[in-house]
Amino acid sequence: MKTRDRILHTSLALFNEEGEADTTTIDIANELDISPGNLYYHFKGKDQIIGELFQQYEQAIRHTLSAPIEQPLSANRGSAEDNWYYLYVVMEEMYQYRFLYHNLNNILQRYPDIKRGFKQLLQLKRAALFAICQTLLHQEVIDARDQQLLGLVDNMTLNLTFWFSYEALLHDNRTPQVTIHQGVLQLLTMVAPYLGDDELSFYRTCETIYLNMVAESD
Amino acid sequence: MSDDKSKVTDKASEIAKNIWLAGVGAYGKAVEEAQGRLEKAMEPPKLFRDLVKAGTALEEDARESTIAARNSVEERINRVRENFHNQRPARIEDLLVLQKKVDQLSRKVDKLSKALAEQGVGSRSHTGRRKAVKKSPGGHGVGNPSVKKSKSAAGKTKSKTARAKSGATAKKATVSKRKV
Repeated sequence: MKTRDRILHTSLALFNEEGEADTTTIDIANELDISPGNLYYHFKGKDQIIGELFQQYEQAIRHTLSAPIEQPLSANRGSAEDNWYYLYVVMEEMYQYRFLYHNLNNILQRYPDIKRGFKQLLQLKRAALFAICQTLLHQEVIDARDQQLLGLVDNMTLNLTFWFSYEALLHDNRTPQVTIHQGVLQLLTMVAPYLGDDELSFYRTCETIYLNMVAESD
Repeated sequence: MSDDKSKVTDKASEIAKNIWLAGVGAYGKAVEEAQGRLEKAMEPPKLFRDLVKAGTALEEDARESTIAARNSVEERINRVRENFHNQRPARIEDLLVLQKKVDQLSRKVDKLSKALAEQGVGSRSHTGRRKAVKKSPGGHGVGNPSVKKSKSAAGKTKSKTARAKSGATAKKATVSKRKV
């Protein structure tokens, strides 16, 4: 791995684990066992590292979020469950860059460029969830009126965006699996009142898995 | 009167919906803006200056690999599905498939041991095995291999990690089976 990539990789790990605000470029250089001068040669400061990490994230999540907008996820299989699995994919991707979400307002205040990008991602999230809900409505998996549907989509977006910081406040040492699974379960809980019986059984299964996970980790 | 009222509400909700949709639609515009921002960043020495080269290259890559990206989303969905099926408790349908498999197996084993017995090959060890197999449909000792089989029969591909989990699934299978 090139030094430049190693710096990015290590920075991401440190930001995620220790928090972005508590990590300095010195910390990053120490962790990598390189001199601060060497780090400076590649990146002029933490701003630049964060900028680049955000671009990586933006690139990846934009692809993922565009998928259900371009084409319904359950079109081929005719299975609505694919949409639920898709939520895992999105959450897993977000989890890789969770430092952004743990300290969102603070980061957005300090980095106007990221703020702009993040606002776009938020709209893209809404668009993706809207597309999913439209498809489900069309397939008669859910039944919701116009305004209800929009409200539902916004609630889901809200939950998706702030789930990690909420969860981190509630629980100290949860595994990523439990965090992500419960995040998806929460999203499904919002959809549940609009679901028919078939998909409700999926919801119940999801619930059971969560209870098993929690029981195992306690 | 009430008609007028509902018309007003309709219109209001229509407006609200349009505002909402405009917000979502802004994402398309946002992409253009991002591109513009990237071009602007080319000129002055700014935070993103060094990123631009890499960024533009990535953008081009991105356009080319939209299909690849979609595939990767689908691949990841498949992986999650697999994982999910490993963790979920067994359903009645799963158990029925399982039972069918076990029944088929017992019949095969019966046939085989019969054939062997006719040939006069030592029957001691085989009768022992037969007993063990016959027990299975009763709800005990449903082993990992059969769990694996039944799932793949339902059209799901299994990874190796599934094996560890399927032990637990099998246990649950026996528990819920008693309820059936």
